[in-house]
Amino acid sequence: MSVTDFDKEWQLGELLDAAALARMGPPLAELLEGDAAILDRDGSPLWGTLIPGARREALTLEIEPAGYLVSSSASPRHLQAAARLFMGLLRAEARYRAASALHLEAVTQDFETLKLEHARLLASEARYRKLSEELEERVAVQVTTLKQRQEQLYQAEKLASVGQLAAGMAHEINNPLGFVRSNLGTLRLYLDKFAALRPQLADAQTAWQTLDLDYVLEDSPDLLRDCDGGLERIARIVADLKSFSHVDRPEKALADLNTCLKHAVSVIEASLPPGVELITDLNPLPCQQCNPGHLNQVFYSLIRNGIQAIQDSGHPGKVTIRSCATPEDIRILLHDNGIGMTAEQLARAFEPFYTTRAVGNGTGLGLSTARNIILAHGGQITLKSLPGQGTTVYLRFPHGHD
Amino acid sequence: MPEESPGSLTFKLVYYGPAQSGKTTNLLRLHDQLSPELKGEVMTMETKDDRTLFFDLLPLGFRAPSGLLIKLRLFTVPGQVAHDGTRKAVLSRADGVVFVADSARNQEVNNGEAFQSMADNCHRVGLDFEHLPLVVQFNKRDLPNAVPETEIRDRWANAPWPLCFACALQGKAVTETFETLLRLLYRHHALPLALATTHGISEEAFVTGLLGRSS
Repeated sequence: MSVTDFDKEWQLGELLDAAALARMGPPLAELLEGDAAILDRDGSPLWGTLIPGARREALTLEIEPAGYLVSSSASPRHLQAAARLFMGLLRAEARYRAASALHLEAVTQDFETLKLEHARLLASEARYRKLSEELEERVAVQVTTLKQRQEQLYQAEKLASVGQLAAGMAHEINNPLGFVRSNLGTLRLYLDKFAALRPQLADAQTAWQTLDLDYVLEDSPDLLRDCDGGLERIARIVADLKSFSHVDRPEKALADLNTCLKHAVSVIEASLPPGVELITDLNPLPCQQCNPGHLNQVFYSLIRNGIQAIQDSGHPGKVTIRSCATPEDIRILLHDNGIGMTAEQLARAFEPFYTTRAVGNGTGLGLSTARNIILAHGGQITLKSLPGQGTTVYLRFPHGHD
Repeated sequence: MPEESPGSLTFKLVYYGPAQSGKTTNLLRLHDQLSPELKGEVMTMETKDDRTLFFDLLPLGFRAPSGLLIKLRLFTVPGQVAHDGTRKAVLSRADGVVFVADSARNQEVNNGEAFQSMADNCHRVGLDFEHLPLVVQFNKRDLPNAVPETEIRDRWANAPWPLCFACALQGKAVTETFETLLRLLYRHHALPLALATTHGISEEAFVTGLLGRSS
């Protein structure tokens, strides 16, 4: 679109086209009592008949003639008056043209400004979009890093709890090992006595008496029975350990959660501190598709938490473990009447790394790990606790979760 | 550059400034005070409550000894902030500018914004602002709250533009402002247009021809 400059100097022929001149010429000629002609500023006729010798009157728009009005019939006075009238018309036309051209120019300018603004907005929007994309990327990287760290800590916690378990096991195994070793030593002494008997068989009765073989005969079956008992205990502890850590089973299995609870309880009972009692009230449960190794660990760490809460309270107490199946789900409740948690502690209990224990005594991952495992089983874990009253952990598992 | 056509040379001058600083008054007084060989009427395009909406135009002219017609067309811009598009359009193709500032102390911010908008608009319509003949007029010197002249001169000491102190309403220093611009205009264009050499117009003749003083 070409825009006419609003400030151009108009020529008469530009202001009035042939049709306009043809409309205005005849009445002008009439007023001028005969003939009239309208000339451009260079004297060339635009309308009418140019009669030689006719008078001409300049038509000035600004300071120079833009054209001429010519008539041979009119008096100078009439011609001047008609020219003034005609100039008024021309000026009005020029003003109208200038105003509309300026309006158009201004609108175009405003539009250009708007386009410029628009382009600037688009550019800034693009900048922000890029920034937000980068932000998402950066957040994704951070999240990945966090997840990796969490995974590492989770593994570390798992290793730590397995290590703790192993330490408990070792302690427990040492006990039966001790008396089995001691019994075997005694049996070796007894065998020495039999060896000493051989050369003295002549005076058999006296020797029998001297070596007190009556007692040996009497005590040996006891020792062997003791050893059998000890070995059985070792075997059971090892079996528990294997079952607990699930080294011998696939990750996912159909399992009775009561069995998992019993495993955890039996492992913990071995190292139960004085003044703490474990009470179990396990009702029949349907089998669950689950990862028993992980659940064992959850139950173990929840029971251990209860025991620690009782120890922290400074008085004797008990941890109650209850399980039951409802039509909707499987429910497990662990209650201790230990020290309890404050509202602030309760609110942050599931936060990773949050711990109330001294540095080195807890990673603060117990409950957060437990929750992760339970969520992975489609379950729920909730806590209720009052300072000085104790803590109750509620677990719910949907039936037959895969 | 001024518009050259056979036999004539047209300069476009623009009175720019914040709203109601007295641009139209400058033009009206010039029309009264100047008496060049050729002087048109002040064409007021459109006003509303005495405020210019489009522009005002005062045409002036004189004929050089060479027969060349020197024409000046003085325009005013609408000062109101909303008419920036119109202001830009009027400013385009300008050969010289008078910036009419309002001397009132409470108008200092408006003056500053209008001056900045003038500089920006010059760049947008392709005028070389650094070399544009420009006179800064502080109008309304009669106001009781006018910023003192020494303070204004101090502040503008490092600016390259000549300052004028006027009271357009009383017709004071309106012609002086115009004359200052004419001299800048001549110095800027005389050589490239061969005004002195081809057309026999000296700076004095140029100024006198347009002011209409008897030489």
